[in-house]
Amino acid sequence: MSNRSSKLGKIYIVIIFLLLYMPILYLIIYSFSKGTTMTNFRGFSLTHYGELFHDKRMLAIFLDTVLIALLSSVFSTIIGTLGALGISNAKRERSRQTLLSLNNILLVSPDVIMGASFLIFFTSLKVPLGFWSVLLSHIAFEIPIVVLMVLPRLDEMSPSLINAATDLGATSGQVLSRVVLPFIQPGIIAGFFMAITYSLDDFAVTFFVTGNGFTTLSVEIYSRARQGISLEINALAGIMFVFSLILVIVYYFIENHNLVSRRKKDKLGVANQ
Amino acid sequence: MSKTIIELQHVYKKYDDFTALKDINFKLNQGEFYTLLGPSGCGKTTILQTIAGFTDATSGQVLFDGQKINDIPANKRQLNTVFQDYALFPNMNVFENVAFGLILHKVKKAEVAERVHDALKLVQLDQYANREISELSGGQKQRIAIARAIVNRPKVLLLDEPLSALDAKLRKDMQYELRSLQQNLGITFLFVTHDQEEALAMSDQIFVMNKGQILQKGDPVDIYDEPINHFVADFIGESNIIPGHMVRDYEISFLGHTFECADAGMRPNEPVEVVIRPEDLVITTPEKGKLQVKVSTQLFRGDYYEILAYDMQDNEWLIHSTNATTDNAIIGLTFGPNDMHVMRYNETEAKFNSRLETYEE
Amino acid sequence: MKKSFRAMFYTPYMMWLALFVIAPVGLIVYYSFFNISHQFTFDNYATFFRSGTYLTMTANSVLYAFLITLISLLISYPMALVISKLKHRDLWILLVILPTWINLLLKAYAFIGLLSHDGLVNNLFELVGLPAQHMLFTDTSFILVASYIQIPFMILPIYNSLTDISDSYIKASHDLGATNWQTLTKIIIPMTMPGIKSGVQIVFIPSLSLFMLSRLIGGNKIITLGTAVEEHFLTTMNWGMGSTIGVVLIISMVIVMLFTNTKRKRGRN
Repeated sequence: MSNRSSKLGKIYIVIIFLLLYMPILYLIIYSFSKGTTMTNFRGFSLTHYGELFHDKRMLAIFLDTVLIALLSSVFSTIIGTLGALGISNAKRERSRQTLLSLNNILLVSPDVIMGASFLIFFTSLKVPLGFWSVLLSHIAFEIPIVVLMVLPRLDEMSPSLINAATDLGATSGQVLSRVVLPFIQPGIIAGFFMAITYSLDDFAVTFFVTGNGFTTLSVEIYSRARQGISLEINALAGIMFVFSLILVIVYYFIENHNLVSRRKKDKLGVANQ
Repeated sequence: MSKTIIELQHVYKKYDDFTALKDINFKLNQGEFYTLLGPSGCGKTTILQTIAGFTDATSGQVLFDGQKINDIPANKRQLNTVFQDYALFPNMNVFENVAFGLILHKVKKAEVAERVHDALKLVQLDQYANREISELSGGQKQRIAIARAIVNRPKVLLLDEPLSALDAKLRKDMQYELRSLQQNLGITFLFVTHDQEEALAMSDQIFVMNKGQILQKGDPVDIYDEPINHFVADFIGESNIIPGHMVRDYEISFLGHTFECADAGMRPNEPVEVVIRPEDLVITTPEKGKLQVKVSTQLFRGDYYEILAYDMQDNEWLIHSTNATTDNAIIGLTFGPNDMHVMRYNETEAKFNSRLETYEE
Repeated sequence: MKKSFRAMFYTPYMMWLALFVIAPVGLIVYYSFFNISHQFTFDNYATFFRSGTYLTMTANSVLYAFLITLISLLISYPMALVISKLKHRDLWILLVILPTWINLLLKAYAFIGLLSHDGLVNNLFELVGLPAQHMLFTDTSFILVASYIQIPFMILPIYNSLTDISDSYIKASHDLGATNWQTLTKIIIPMTMPGIKSGVQIVFIPSLSLFMLSRLIGGNKIITLGTAVEEHFLTTMNWGMGSTIGVVLIISMVIVMLFTNTKRKRGRN
């Protein structure tokens, strides 16, 4: 590419990145404003954060949201990993394709359809709407993404790896715990984190199946935002942004951890010789 | 003297619309180096997997030490495999990989350390116990895979094209090493390859396979000098194969000439094929030659010239010579009666062997 | 022994497939044949296809989704192209992903402030001498905010297919005398079609049903199929009609998938 066009390209992505981040920065900046609207910035203050931390209802909702995210991610990661193992073990290409298409239905369905159909489902089974219906829904829509994260690792694994373990005397259980799971571990971790973000990000499905007593942050933000601007939400945005950043960092730390620690161990080993 | 360790009896392997193995029968003796040789898709790896237990034979028996092992799962069979892609576990280091089988068999810690050390020493990598798999070169991975397989002291080692991923130089070195390793350990090796040079260099016995069948078995020299048919002659080494017919015993006719030959036991005037290896052709003047050919191209191969020439009927001739010739020159070719090997069409291995016995000492 | 071990293993996943994938779709189809007083009827479909409101709503939804997809594609392709050529492209693409980790509702909420009468956008307009605009609760703002939200999801698949292209294709194209532009249109874009298609798939289908955005940014003026489903299910409690619209949404989703599913006929490997 010529110099001129690459310069133009750089200007272009800088502009788009500014646009991408502007709303988020805007939110966070105003969370520190003394005023009460997202228009004129009236000097730095932490009042809105103070308000937020004294808002018992908001704190309870925050804890519920995190609880739902963690619980649903744990369950969906387990079920999704088992599902991925099942799909990759499918003998015929046909059944593999069928399973995969079924798996992806929830990923491509519009949120409202998922929400509406889960609502019908829970009501016909007489499951009360609230914590359990939300938890089950979150597990349900997180499973396919876990499968999609784990499956490529399984496909990458050479079948001779399993044969080798069996050849050396491993039982099916030992093959799974000593060879397969360690190999697909990065995919499982990625799936777990994707599941958490899906859960934290979901609004529509929760909105449909949550009933009256139980609320998550997304639903709460929606109902407050419909009433107009409240800088307490900005403060919440600031906290959630930091929370997301921490999640990203933790994720990258875990992803690199194994490699790094193995290298360290290796260096020690070499030094000992 | 040596006893049979593995025997296959009438083994078939059928998939939906494809027969991978057709009536495979063979016996492997203790302490010998066997090679299954054939093009890709000929079923050689399927045989290996049937013996290892990764796949079940559709019918027929697999015997190990005289016991039928068809129904014994792979993890209970007393043999180990070296895989084409090495299949070293990436989540374990070298030591952990080699120790894997021992730990599964609940061998005591001190003994594990000792045996892993010995196995690594055998493959000359005892300094590498703490390395990660990702830090090894191809040749080193190869040796670790071998160490991991022999540390369990199997009676038979199965090797599935273990050298195919290595470069030419390393492959030659590993051929020597594998051969001496096999002789030191004194266990049976069953080696699978599509590389005829590898097979000729290392094996005590070779099984040449094509399309799910064993075409010929024998020691490397026999297979090279007396291939049973066109496929084997063409697959093993380079060869000139010319159609002709037997005039009578010890006399063959092709390309309009009649020559004395060393083969017998065929019907008079039976159509046959003649194999002449390129290194058995000697270049002389056109007048002295038994055949006259015109040189087309010659390639310098380092230790010899490979010459491509055509005779008057436009048949291609491949000649190996230590001396160069001139392009487009007409040259003569001579060969002795023993340089020709005559093959009958559709002769079975049993008939081929019994025919050879009638006239060979 | 081995089989029962396996069966036990896959049961949870299979149960999930049956209960949360197959059953809900079946229930929606089933409910679409019942009216508000639980009697079997085809009326819902009759109403849908006869009334002008529903048909205009469908047309509008498709048009909005189309515009959202088009705008995000036009912005995302050059973006992905430039990023894929940068030195630390992994880091830059991480910066693209990061905003998707921020709750969708918070981003929508930010725009309520940004686009309000005294908000930042109008302040900027005043700086260049433009009069303040009424931007909140308009079609344009709805489409722009929706595009904003979808851009990262469009960039990612395109970026992935761009990085899959081996550099030697581009070198070969230049070697054979193609200009940058010709290389882009004849080599790079055709080779990234799978990425474009999956981007379109990821963006178009949800855009048909962004009910929270149309409520928050579009006011109550913009009624898409998504808002209609929400209203029938949660406000008027006419689940039958809601399910009927849902079935229409599912069918349009299937159509989009059929158009954008890349059959890897000429697949690599």
